Amino acid sequence: MTARPVVRALLGDGLARLCTALLAAVILLAVAGPLLSPWSAEDIDWAALEAPPSAGHWFGTDLVGRDLFTRAAAGARVSLTIAAIATLVSVLIGVPWGAAAGYLGGRVDTVMMRIVDVLYALPFVLLVILLVVVFGRNPYLLFAGLGAVFWLDLARIVRGQTLRVRQAGFVEAARAMGAGPATIIRRHVLPNVAGPALVYATLTVPGVILAESFISFLGLGVQEPDTSLGVLIADGAQTMESAPWALVFPALLLAVTVWSINMLGDRLRDEIDARSGSAGHAGTRGSYNLRPARHGARP
Amino acid sequence: MTSNVLRRLWIAVLLGFGLSSPTGAALAAGDVLRLGNAGEPETLDPHRYNLRLEETILTDLFLGLTTFDAEANIVPGAAEGWQVSEDGLTWTFQLRPGLAWSDGEPLTAHDFVYAFRRLLAPDTAASLAYFMYPLANAAAVNAGELPPDRLGARALDDRTLELTLERPYPYLPERLLYPTGYPVPRHVIEAVGDDWVKPEHWVSNGAYRLADWQPQAAVTLVRNPHFAASGLQAPAIERLEYLPLASEQAAYNRYRAGEVHAIGAFPAGELPTVRERMPEHLRLSPLLSIMYLVFNTRAAPFDDVRVREALALAVDRRLLTDRVQRAGHVPSPSFVPALVSDYQPVPEPGADLDRPARLARARALLTEAGYGADRPLSITLRYVSGTETKRTNLAIAAFWREIGVETRLHQAELKVHFADLRQGDFEVAMAGWFGESNPEHYLGLWESSTGDVNYGGFAHPPFDARMAEAAGIADLAERNAVLREAERLGIARYPAVPLYSVTVRRLVSPDLDGWRENPRDAHPARFLRWR
Amino acid sequence: MNQPRTGRALLARLAVSLVTFWVIVTAVFFLLRLAPGGPFDGERQLPPEVEENLRAAYHLDEPLVVQYGRYLGMLARGDLGPSFKQKDFSVNELVASGAPVSLTVGGLALLLAVAGGIGTGVRAGLAPGSALDRTLMGVAGLGLALPSIVVAPVAVLVFAVLLGWLPAGGVDSPAHYVLPPVALALPFLAAIARLTRGSVAETLTEPHVRTALAKGLPAGRVLRRHVLPVALLPVVSYLGPAAAAMLTGSVVIEQVFELPGIGRYFVQAALNRDYTLVMGVVVVYAAFILTFNLLVDLAYTRLDPRIRLGGR
Repeated sequence: MTARPVVRALLGDGLARLCTALLAAVILLAVAGPLLSPWSAEDIDWAALEAPPSAGHWFGTDLVGRDLFTRAAAGARVSLTIAAIATLVSVLIGVPWGAAAGYLGGRVDTVMMRIVDVLYALPFVLLVILLVVVFGRNPYLLFAGLGAVFWLDLARIVRGQTLRVRQAGFVEAARAMGAGPATIIRRHVLPNVAGPALVYATLTVPGVILAESFISFLGLGVQEPDTSLGVLIADGAQTMESAPWALVFPALLLAVTVWSINMLGDRLRDEIDARSGSAGHAGTRGSYNLRPARHGARP
Repeated sequence: MTSNVLRRLWIAVLLGFGLSSPTGAALAAGDVLRLGNAGEPETLDPHRYNLRLEETILTDLFLGLTTFDAEANIVPGAAEGWQVSEDGLTWTFQLRPGLAWSDGEPLTAHDFVYAFRRLLAPDTAASLAYFMYPLANAAAVNAGELPPDRLGARALDDRTLELTLERPYPYLPERLLYPTGYPVPRHVIEAVGDDWVKPEHWVSNGAYRLADWQPQAAVTLVRNPHFAASGLQAPAIERLEYLPLASEQAAYNRYRAGEVHAIGAFPAGELPTVRERMPEHLRLSPLLSIMYLVFNTRAAPFDDVRVREALALAVDRRLLTDRVQRAGHVPSPSFVPALVSDYQPVPEPGADLDRPARLARARALLTEAGYGADRPLSITLRYVSGTETKRTNLAIAAFWREIGVETRLHQAELKVHFADLRQGDFEVAMAGWFGESNPEHYLGLWESSTGDVNYGGFAHPPFDARMAEAAGIADLAERNAVLREAERLGIARYPAVPLYSVTVRRLVSPDLDGWRENPRDAHPARFLRWR
Repeated sequence: MNQPRTGRALLARLAVSLVTFWVIVTAVFFLLRLAPGGPFDGERQLPPEVEENLRAAYHLDEPLVVQYGRYLGMLARGDLGPSFKQKDFSVNELVASGAPVSLTVGGLALLLAVAGGIGTGVRAGLAPGSALDRTLMGVAGLGLALPSIVVAPVAVLVFAVLLGWLPAGGVDSPAHYVLPPVALALPFLAAIARLTRGSVAETLTEPHVRTALAKGLPAGRVLRRHVLPVALLPVVSYLGPAAAAMLTGSVVIEQVFELPGIGRYFVQAALNRDYTLVMGVVVVYAAFILTFNLLVDLAYTRLDPRIRLGGR
């Protein structure tokens, strides 16, 4: 994948530029936010307990007087990190799975994709919740669990791409020269499906962020004094009336993040689809991932 | 107050409404009294119950030997009177004439004997069976070592019940208030077994009987026509519905949306708004309770009394309750709550020092114990998840930071939290103890023989000796004097940091008459009526 | 002929579903027992003899494998066992009282999401790039980005507490069934709208549709006969995952609106180690999801023109 379609997707028109700017702002906040504020995420300002936004506290303070701007920045950082790690996990599972299914084809393909079909229909987030309840709130478990939920889409996409690559001349040549399936998948298939896989992987980020916020809302998320957007929203909803700012700012931050990634992801995908000439599925991604085409139902 | 104006401005801006913040309209008077309860009951079998929110409903359904008046004082219930023997071991109760079950069957002393035996029978698997361990042979019966008929409870005739105790226990009338002391209908249980708790089979002897129970939606009670025969004040309201409103925010919403007549709690942050906008709905009542921090005294660093004292001194209870929680809780410098009757609790030794003196002493103690800037004390504080507990424990961590202690917070669900505590798997943790108006109920937590509910494994032989001495005394004043001495010895060793007594914040419809605040937060519906 | 093959394929699906069901039940059963703590940990201390009595009463003193066998046996007879915490009810009774509420809310939400989503999506998809299209899709994008954990509490505050139009919680009347399904449906409505829009816009460019339009057939008829059957295929296949995701959502929605559904039991029962109740909820969820997916499969097989063409 060359850089040009990416640039076009990110900066092509006003809306794209807006989304890119918003996303950049969120990332900047997550990375540098704590540096901008004189408060740390744990400092208590005894003079401003549950105080509205002011010059001293740009987003106000929470119920024990901690600066919400700093905490929102820290929360965004945690949410994005969780999303990144879960996405990585989903790539590590989904890409090999899809590549193997697509390359090996036949019965193996049918069984592997049938498994994906079945898993698709399970309320996995509930299983993650169960895991968290049962084994305690370990963030690593959360990452891994969420990653294990979100690999399904990726497996489908990669399989489709692999089917195309498999027909290519250089793969035929490699096979003729006696290379085994593992080698061919590693040397030839994966590099060629990496681009589209990356794009679809970004589309799992909003889903992970939302899933994390669900889990946090149920009180099963990240532990104090660490925080995440989901934790901040859950806390904010508890003090919605006495301190609405504690809900509004984290909720806005979450909405902006999810919205801009969704928009940009759609555009990136459209660019890829246009380039590779595959049938587009111009629908949405985001929290509730769609199945591009049903695999098993064909006669 | 500017901050309040700002707050309302915020709501207005965010929601696009006028400047008046909502108070809603409370539900008007009617035939059905709808009460918010703290959650869904797990059972309505008085012998298998476990939760305060179940006690609330069971109080309306049953009548024990003793009962509450409208202010929750202990008064005669199914028994019209009783006598205690010289040695404090034999209690004889006379039942009221004309007692009947809600199906009209007469209720006799034999029913009480049956109930006590059922409670303690191993098969019942009653988790609170030990509440009646003061009865002679109760523990052995419960363990299956003795047959139920060896229990210290027998009917001398239909209206006379004799209870024999293991040791003197002057608090027996209070202990009999609990559902574990309620009678259950033998004639129904023997006919239908465990299904007796179903509405279609239900029979009880209280002011109300169970009419319907929709899980997670409502428990419906209707007036028991046979209650009046007891001679006690009969209820005025025909029908009650207890709604499980576990979330404070949801309870608050539903109260203001006019869907319930009374709720058990609302978000603490709303207290100023409620005070200002709907004062006639607000009912604040201090509860017999102590919230405290417990140290695990079995291992370092908290096997060192200096460390325990230093951390206790660094806590500023007043700042905690008045500035951080702002929920009306009452700071308590003593482990036995001030509300316990006939007793003068002993405050923590450093309680009368001012803040700088406390901090200075705390730092000195830490230095003495070998901690300082080069070797900071680093600990983990555990608490039960929740908005208010989070607020509280974050503040405590901040207090400790002032004397150079690093605190990590660890929150867990109620069950997990207390399971960890009982296994001694913690360093310092927040805990609470509710209920009785007797000092032993609280001080018992520090006895080395108490078992796992002495979470910190505190053991101080002089304290234990005083407690054992008190247990043999039948006279209340004498007994309490010895207990006071025990408390003094105990608190000086800092097994725990008493923090505050809970204040219950309720909203109650002004249309409702007869609601009296009391330290047990008990509000039997038979004392309520529409204005 | 196609018929036997379809029949066999469906049988195979059914078999896969049953195996999946068994795997879920087994996995959750052992997962729960691996967890630290037990159903009888409470704030008040239990003397060891009492705890023993309790454990024996619920067969918790038996080896795990025996308990598992006992559970499968009960399950085969349709008995979900007694609840550990809700002592006065069997799990069957709890599920029987909670499932109708959950299914009503979920069903209404699904209906709303499908009807609203397809309606919106078709309108936008018929005029790709138009102002209407952009507006609708922009709103749908926002719908996806605002999670129900924000929408639901704010909706209660506004419509129940401030305006007093609708109840804040409970299920006493039809009015109680307005806010929860709406709050639950919104993100799915948005997702289906975007999916439909893309699919409709794409189908419009296909040759057979263009031919039909060129022949002068009325636009409404072309839409019904030629566009929608093809364009809605992705929507149909989205219904399976959507139903699964809605279950997740319903856990939160039932909590916010205090609905007496089974979703509320899920987290609470898991925290309380109420093994049988968690299992009961999982069994109902799994059975529902797997059945629903079989139905979707069936509908898909019926709808897919490739299959129909192949059969003729």
